[in-house]
Amino acid sequence: FQDQAEQFFRSGHTNNWAVLVCTSRFWFNYRHVANTLSVYRSVKRLGIPDSHIVLMLADDMACNPRNPKPATVFSHKNMELNVYGDDVEVDYRSYEVTVENFLRVLTGRIPPSTPRSKRLLSDDRSNILIYMTGHGGNGFLKFQDSEEITNVELADAFEQMWQKRRYNELLFIIDTCQGASMYERFYSPNIMALASSQVGEDSLSHQPDLGIGVHLMDRYTFYVLEFLEEIHPASQTNMNDLFQVCPKSLCVSTPGHRTDLFQRDPQKVLITDFFGSVRKVEITRETLSLDRDVAGFESKFPEEELATEPLKYAEQLPVAQIIHQKPKQKDWHPPGGFILGLWALIIMVFFKTYGIKHMKHVF
Amino acid sequence: MAAPLVLVVLAAVTVRAALYRSSLAVFIAERVEVASPLNAWKRVVEGLALLDLGVSPYSGAIFHETPLIIYLFHFLIEYAELVFMITDVLTAVALYLAIQDFNKVVFKKQKLLIELDKYAPDVAELIQTPMEMHYIPLKVALFYLLNPYTVMSCVAKSTCAINNSVIAFFILATIKGSAFLSAVFLALATYQSLYPLTLFAPALLYLLQRQFIPVKLKSKSFWLYTMQYASLYLCSLVVIICLSFFLLNSWDFIPSVYGFILSVPDLTPNIGLFWYFFAEMFEHFSLFFVCVFQINVFFYTIPLAIKLKEHPVFFMFVQLAIISIFKSYPTLGDVALYMAFLPVWSHLYRFLRNIFILSCVLIFCSFLFPVLWHLWIYAGSANSNFYYAITLTFNIGQILLISDYFYAFLRREFYLTHGLHLTRQDGTEAMLVLK
Repeated sequence: FQDQAEQFFRSGHTNNWAVLVCTSRFWFNYRHVANTLSVYRSVKRLGIPDSHIVLMLADDMACNPRNPKPATVFSHKNMELNVYGDDVEVDYRSYEVTVENFLRVLTGRIPPSTPRSKRLLSDDRSNILIYMTGHGGNGFLKFQDSEEITNVELADAFEQMWQKRRYNELLFIIDTCQGASMYERFYSPNIMALASSQVGEDSLSHQPDLGIGVHLMDRYTFYVLEFLEEIHPASQTNMNDLFQVCPKSLCVSTPGHRTDLFQRDPQKVLITDFFGSVRKVEITRETLSLDRDVAGFESKFPEEELATEPLKYAEQLPVAQIIHQKPKQKDWHPPGGFILGLWALIIMVFFKTYGIKHMKHVF
Repeated sequence: MAAPLVLVVLAAVTVRAALYRSSLAVFIAERVEVASPLNAWKRVVEGLALLDLGVSPYSGAIFHETPLIIYLFHFLIEYAELVFMITDVLTAVALYLAIQDFNKVVFKKQKLLIELDKYAPDVAELIQTPMEMHYIPLKVALFYLLNPYTVMSCVAKSTCAINNSVIAFFILATIKGSAFLSAVFLALATYQSLYPLTLFAPALLYLLQRQFIPVKLKSKSFWLYTMQYASLYLCSLVVIICLSFFLLNSWDFIPSVYGFILSVPDLTPNIGLFWYFFAEMFEHFSLFFVCVFQINVFFYTIPLAIKLKEHPVFFMFVQLAIISIFKSYPTLGDVALYMAFLPVWSHLYRFLRNIFILSCVLIFCSFLFPVLWHLWIYAGSANSNFYYAITLTFNIGQILLISDYFYAFLRREFYLTHGLHLTRQDGTEAMLVLK
């Protein structure tokens, strides 16, 4: 009981966010959209609201003209599970899914006109789940068939997030070929990373559906989805179980994970710490009365110190001074030798043309 | 003749000053037809600002002016408008004096040829009289100063005006007969934009004519004079280039100025022929075509020298026109310079065949340039092909104008020696064509 209570307070986060990115477009990359939507479904089911999910889908499969079952995205063959339900909220769609937008979402450097649904408004008590899927290679992930994000960029973005206190803990899952290369360069604390394959291995897709005509899911995410379907908000399943998902026999590639930057023991990290939005509720059987003079409460500081200074606008840039400044003296002057040479030449030409006799007028 | 010239100058200065103060100045300054990467005022200001910040202005591909221009504007940048107005006035005055002298030379030569009986008997109406030649210098100054092209160039503060002024002084020096000054000014003009190099041939021919040295390849005096002139020219060029080295203590300006002119890296649209071709070209071929296009400018010098060796000033006019059509970054200021010479050949008017249609073409194209630019860049409903079509038409118009004048000139010369009524062997009337 004591142990459970301890664990309850151990993770230290107060809110959960999820950034789910699918980076591929075109119909034959149906499975990447299905991957992302599966994770979206799980995360939403476990309690993270849409306002805390940034879903980026690079293409629209549900309404794609080639989709024989419009308005659906299936993750199991034989149409067992439609992950595109009635309440999918896509925040970044189609061509908005770019490396620049992704990095801006992560670091928070967003133009002021961006709507709230497109922002990652996390703070230093947020646990963030970042799931990325698409086509990748050793050290990069391809966005939209035209640009790439490198593992170095990603690591730097996470470091910016750490320095700006934008996360408490971060779980990074990537399902691409050679996915492990994407988490090799992380150097910020409190990051745990999972990938579907090691460097040099390809992540394979799972099942083609003959009715729809494309592969529906990737193997790794398929088994992760199966695993997540078992989870409910009160589950005590921990991260080590997630690391066991999809062994080589099922996945053909070797999933990898990285926990050296993470301060807690993965055994003690709950799946719902990242995938769910578990509100911390403390149940008490006592009544607390809040009176004006609460006994035992003493002001630790004398009255004078508590009165803060009136806030005023700090003079940061003396704009008025700069505008009315006189233009500064030109620093560059042509070298003396040049001026001398030039005028000597001009005088020589003048006298050669008009004769030496004019010299006597000068002297 | 001083008073009308002064009046013309005053009128021109007023027009320019009025335009400077109006809101059109900014609009005109940005137009690509008058401001090319070589001579835009914006770039001069940028280069000087870089210099004030302690960086060489040639770092980065913005500034392509010569160090002497840096020196000139370093002190005069606050009076830039005045400088350009004075430059235009100087150009016009130089052209005025040059054409005045040239008329005297033409008249003397004509008189000599009449006395030597070189002309056919019935060509009295073709001979130029002092009466009609009296107003030509004023007309030349007028044509230059009040030409809308020149006014726009001046308002845009494009350094083409300075180049024009140097070329005008070069022409004045050549016509006055001073080989030294002409070599110096030609070196200055070549130093600023590479193409006046081709004006070496007509200047040489004129000076030879003046010294009464016949142009024969075996003649020793011919080679001696040529060597003298060439060495004057080359020495002054070398001296000027070495002097420019001492301004910034670096040779950076050579690739920035001459490399830029020759290799045409900047493909901003202008009224020339280069930009569209090179925008569409594969990298593999660009060196070849750059060479072809550049040779095209210099190529016409030798044939024209052979054909026009008796008439070097006309040769100079045609050469100036060829430079301003085929150079890598032409602007309307270059066009204005050779158009200023048209009154000198006004006696050819009766032999010009296409003058009406050509002047219409040139005027229409001048109006269509801003229209199609707006349509392409701002409205988005046209594309570069439209603008290039107008550029092509404008250049074709200029080329046809020059070849028309060339034809008219040669035809008049033919008539002078063979008489106005040409007959074939069987006595019927013959027509002269330019093959």
